[in-house]
Amino acid sequence: MIKIQKEDFNLENEVNLIKSKYTHIGAVSTFIGYVRDVNTNKKVISINLEVYEEMAIKSLSSICEQSKKKWNLIDSLVIHRFGSLSVNDKIVLVATFAMHRENSINACSYIVDYLKKDAPFWKKEFYEKDSAWL
Amino acid sequence: MKIKYFAWIKNITNTDSEEISNKNIVDIESLKIYLCKKYPKLENHILKDQIIRISVNLEYTSDNIILTNKDEIAFFPPVSGG
Repeated sequence: MIKIQKEDFNLENEVNLIKSKYTHIGAVSTFIGYVRDVNTNKKVISINLEVYEEMAIKSLSSICEQSKKKWNLIDSLVIHRFGSLSVNDKIVLVATFAMHRENSINACSYIVDYLKKDAPFWKKEFYEKDSAWL
Repeated sequence: MKIKYFAWIKNITNTDSEEISNKNIVDIESLKIYLCKKYPKLENHILKDQIIRISVNLEYTSDNIILTNKDEIAFFPPVSGG
């Protein structure tokens, strides 16, 4: 499942929502990305995340489907936020559900790598006196 | 065809999307030339350093594919999500 949203998310609730559907899940791997307060020696106050939503849903759905086949996943979840976010806010959640840990860990890493490299999101960082697109 | 712009590219075009209909635009290369004439500041990024990525109908492309009026083409800088 892919969710592109402004709102925050609760890790345990999101994982349990999927976990409760299946009794044969033995491993869940998760990655959470946060807004940090420093980047290339500049103090970050906040960020703004822009998304090409239709393309993000299509490309992330495709990568999750590939991962499902490659690592025999039972299910997967990607939540990516957009809009204005402050330091310590959660940006993204990737969760993968499998029978065994190797599959869930490898699939989670693969999806995160794809997301960082190709998913159409852009960050603008706001500093004390100026701002910059990354 | 519908053209979309994201991140700092919008600062150059002053819009995030527009409809363009021009008989000279038949493929990606002719669209790039058209846009660089319309927005001269795009030229450095689209034609010279080529850092801008392009999608057609929600799929990345680096080929000079043929375009039709029903296509949606997006121009954007390298992504930085996650």
